[in-house]
Amino acid sequence: MSNEDVEAIPPSSSPAMLDETTKEYLFSTDDGILSKASAEAHVPTAHLDIGPEGLSFYNMDLYESRERLDIFTEELSSSRTEDEQFTAIEDSNESRPRTEEEEYDLYTAEVSEMARQYGIWDDKEEMEMGFQTQDPFVMVTQKQEPAVQGIKTWGEEPVKGEPKEGGAGEKRDSIHKTPAVDEGGSMEHHEPCYPSEGDEPQSHKQYVGQRQYSEEAFEEEEWEEEGSQPMKASRGDTQIGEFVGFSAKTQEDLTMDMDNPEDGFRASEHTHDLEEGQPGSQAGGEDEVPDVFCMECKIAIRAFDKVFGSHKDHQVTKLSIAAEDTKVEIHKTMCKLEEQIAQMENFASHLEEIFITVEENFGRQEQNLEQHYNEVIQTLTQRYEEKTSGLEDEKKQKLEKLYSQLVNCGKTLDISKDLIEAAQEICRNEDKLAFLQVAVPTVERIEEYTASDPDLKLSASLEFENDAIDFSDVRQMMDSINIVPAPSAPVINPQTPNSSTSTSVRVCWSLFSDDTVEYYELYYKPVLEGTTADENEEQDASMVEVKETYCTVLNLVPNTQYEFWVTALNTTGISPASERAVYMTVPSPPVIKKKLCRSCPNAALIRWESGNTNPVDSYTVELCEISRERSETAVTESIVGIPSYESIIQLLSGRSYLIYVRAVNIGGPSERSDPVVIYTTGTFFRLNEDTAHPSLAISEDGFTMFYGDEYTELNDITFSDNTFSRCVAIMGELIPIRGKHYWEVEVEEHTEYRLGVAYEDTQRNGYLGANNTSWCMRHVMTPSRHKYEFLHNGSTPDIRITMHPKRIGVSLDYETGKLAFFNTDLSQHIYTYKCHFLHYVHPCFALEKPGALTVHNGIEAPEYITFS
Amino acid sequence: MSGTPFLTAVARIITRHKLYNIRLHTSSYTAMALTQVSSNKCFDGFQKVFEHDSTELKCKMRFGIYLPPKAEGGKCPVLYWLSGLTCTEQNFITKAGSQQEAAEHGIIIVCPDTSPRGCNIEGEDESWDFGTGAGFYVNATEDQWKVNYRMYSYITEELPHLISSNFPADSERMSISGHSMGGHGALICALKNPGKYKSVSAFAPICNPMQCPWGQKAFNGYLGSDKSKWESYDATVLVSAYSGPQLDILIDQGRDDQFLAAGQLLPDNFIAACTEKKIPVVFRLQQGYDHSYYFVCSFISNHIKHHAKYLNA
Repeated sequence: MSNEDVEAIPPSSSPAMLDETTKEYLFSTDDGILSKASAEAHVPTAHLDIGPEGLSFYNMDLYESRERLDIFTEELSSSRTEDEQFTAIEDSNESRPRTEEEEYDLYTAEVSEMARQYGIWDDKEEMEMGFQTQDPFVMVTQKQEPAVQGIKTWGEEPVKGEPKEGGAGEKRDSIHKTPAVDEGGSMEHHEPCYPSEGDEPQSHKQYVGQRQYSEEAFEEEEWEEEGSQPMKASRGDTQIGEFVGFSAKTQEDLTMDMDNPEDGFRASEHTHDLEEGQPGSQAGGEDEVPDVFCMECKIAIRAFDKVFGSHKDHQVTKLSIAAEDTKVEIHKTMCKLEEQIAQMENFASHLEEIFITVEENFGRQEQNLEQHYNEVIQTLTQRYEEKTSGLEDEKKQKLEKLYSQLVNCGKTLDISKDLIEAAQEICRNEDKLAFLQVAVPTVERIEEYTASDPDLKLSASLEFENDAIDFSDVRQMMDSINIVPAPSAPVINPQTPNSSTSTSVRVCWSLFSDDTVEYYELYYKPVLEGTTADENEEQDASMVEVKETYCTVLNLVPNTQYEFWVTALNTTGISPASERAVYMTVPSPPVIKKKLCRSCPNAALIRWESGNTNPVDSYTVELCEISRERSETAVTESIVGIPSYESIIQLLSGRSYLIYVRAVNIGGPSERSDPVVIYTTGTFFRLNEDTAHPSLAISEDGFTMFYGDEYTELNDITFSDNTFSRCVAIMGELIPIRGKHYWEVEVEEHTEYRLGVAYEDTQRNGYLGANNTSWCMRHVMTPSRHKYEFLHNGSTPDIRITMHPKRIGVSLDYETGKLAFFNTDLSQHIYTYKCHFLHYVHPCFALEKPGALTVHNGIEAPEYITFS
Repeated sequence: MSGTPFLTAVARIITRHKLYNIRLHTSSYTAMALTQVSSNKCFDGFQKVFEHDSTELKCKMRFGIYLPPKAEGGKCPVLYWLSGLTCTEQNFITKAGSQQEAAEHGIIIVCPDTSPRGCNIEGEDESWDFGTGAGFYVNATEDQWKVNYRMYSYITEELPHLISSNFPADSERMSISGHSMGGHGALICALKNPGKYKSVSAFAPICNPMQCPWGQKAFNGYLGSDKSKWESYDATVLVSAYSGPQLDILIDQGRDDQFLAAGQLLPDNFIAACTEKKIPVVFRLQQGYDHSYYFVCSFISNHIKHHAKYLNA
């Protein structure tokens, strides 16, 4: 041991710094050794970096505290015997004999108390420090016993080096003391921490040893040869034995901590003692410190050996790296073990569950068996009693009959004998007359008697009447003893949201936990509306066999209610059917009638068909705004609970929207319909061809109308109520929104037309503008000029236009009550109607002479229309 | 356009001493002093009347100006209103009711007098349709009138400079309108200066003065008997020669206007010419209306909107 090492320590181990100091102190020790050995500048922070690894490893142990603690508690008493040597310390723990629970409570109380005072990790950090500093120590040990080291370091042969270590410990102790005294100031400050140190050096040494051991035991693989006999004994034990050291140490630490706030420091100093002692003892023996690590032999060697010794061709690495690698490896192994433990725990708990279940099941089975046997025995007993009593009765009856017959026989016999005696008596009579007088009636009597044959048949049958005993029911009972009971009726769940599609539903049910079920039979049939319950009963139900307690039934009809019920089956039999539950398939998606959709800058009217034959509960409209990047965005808005086949949706102007519709019933919403794209740049409408005058032809796109040259006989034409019959006109379908609308009409210079707006119910047999239900601009050619009229109620202002518009803008503003016409090519305002529109109006268009006219809409209204 | 003291001084001298033969650079117009005659708050703006010494007309001239509230915060476009026969600057500002619409659209309305006044020219006050109150917006060439009766230059040159240098007016955005003789003035100013006015409109304008008694009398008096000179002040004639930015002409005409029936206005000739030349005109023959300011005030807001569309575009 070099004095430099020791001297280097005190400055950093200022007593005021406690745990922090401890850390530094240990590092500096470690560092000191390393730098000395490998002649490499080693910065303490490098070790600090390693710290967290060790910490996490420690943490993992703590996490399973419950089990660990259990073990600790069990071992606590045994460790206590070892600890008894530290009497001074342990005096604080009073009453020795404690139950395990008490020990545990005390222990946890102490732990929590400590955690409160210092934070739980102080203790852990300390442990970590010990762990950190062990590597060089191990190396030294190996150095001393090269033959054994390679194996021993990795924990396979932990015991061998111990005695020697004990020696080293002793040596260390004395060495430590000297500089401590020499140093005076700082080291003296530590003295009060060791009440026993001065008086009982031996016990202190043991304490050190144990402490050190506990750290190693904790580390599991890096066994460290150290100290005293008790240690040795426990080390010989199993893994659990190792924790004794730990728990003992912990407890001791805690105790000491309570006594002395500088305990953390004290503990670290012990470690310091240890670290110090090792190199010291080594320095005493050989002056060589291993500075590299042989990768192949897994031991630390001197660089010299690498060059010249037995490790010549071996791959070597720096000691610090080797230590680190090893630590990482250990850590990995630890992790694996932790995982295994976790797995095993899981498995154990699983097994426990299974155990309980199996136990319960068998209990139930036993009960069942007993019950059945009791039943059988009861039945047999009853049967026996019935039989015996029956036999008894029969016997009695028969014997009585026989006896009475016997008695009768005796009587007959007696009578016969009497008759014979009487006859003999008479024969003996000498007197003939008297004889004859007497003989005649006697002979008559005898003849009379003998005339009736004696009854010699047995009056009772000798056969047994019911000798055949029927055991069939008993046998059946016997047979049924080993069979599980038939399940009870399952409970079918009501339909849950989003569990069905248009063609399938997912049905769920549950069974009683006692039941054993092999499979279920799920029955279903559609609930047809408009049929009576009886008619409904007559339908055949479909059935599927299911193993699970749920089933997705496919190939159903959309928007239809189905009745479901389920029975459970096992080998014994079939359960009663469950209650019937009604599930409903969701509707088919609606179909948007794109041709009937209209829009304006702030709203859209969407119309659709149900897509289902049965009515649905409601419809949901979903909007997706299409951003400029054309990426479809998520649903920005949903309008739910729409009862009808159309809806007006408020929108923002100048946007593009994808609009979907879903049909909804109690089963949930259908899939989305195909979308309709709505642009809110301008007002968009279509022409209502139902209103078109028969002479008017509409282009395929629906926006251009033609009035052909060919003359059509009006008589040949059939008019519907909605058709313009006089004016060759057609009406558009404007969205019913009292806002601003704008559209344009393209005409030829010589086209004669009327265009404007009209109430929906404007007279079909009149001319547009000729009544008070329509407003229209009219262009006609007179021989002299183009004539423009702005008709309402048959009258027009006199307005002349020098430029003949080819594209006419029509602006309708309900709010200001203005209907304005523009020559869009010139941005020229032509005329504005001021009127109050009582109802919604619709665009209307008419051709006065053969020609064509095209409607342009969905156009953004130009700004100049505001100046009208 | 700077009103330097020097130029101001020169202008004054010229004005005072009637140095006719010195043609000044246009910038000299701006230098003249304005005297406020009246100022009344109206629709949050101000209706004012100013008097100034006109260099073109060599006399004191008054004009009305409506400054909309918006003029307090920045430059506004200007609509020049030319009144009809016998009118002064007062008729329009008191009768037409233009201020509300002007305030709404932020338009300055400048309303000059209809002729030089007090020039002591022989015969100037003899008739209501010639001389005082009947300048016809021409630059006279006849000796007797040519010094003072330079209304065309006054309207198109001197007055705009005066306005833009004394008021928050945007000289790039001007429009012109007028009634009767003023309608004629508005049309010829617009047609003779393509691009100078953003838009033009007129109430019952004298569309074809060469063909009507009023026009013939005035032109003969101011311009002489040479009818070729008249053509440059006749809207119907000017239309067929027009080339320039597209005009959008709005004309309102009362159907019961006695001067229409008397053949003084002749809008059909103008419409025919415009139709021929494809110059956009919306001509509205307003049923039941006559030639009065009751007619004007009925449709003035339409006209101001019409101008606002181009002035505020």
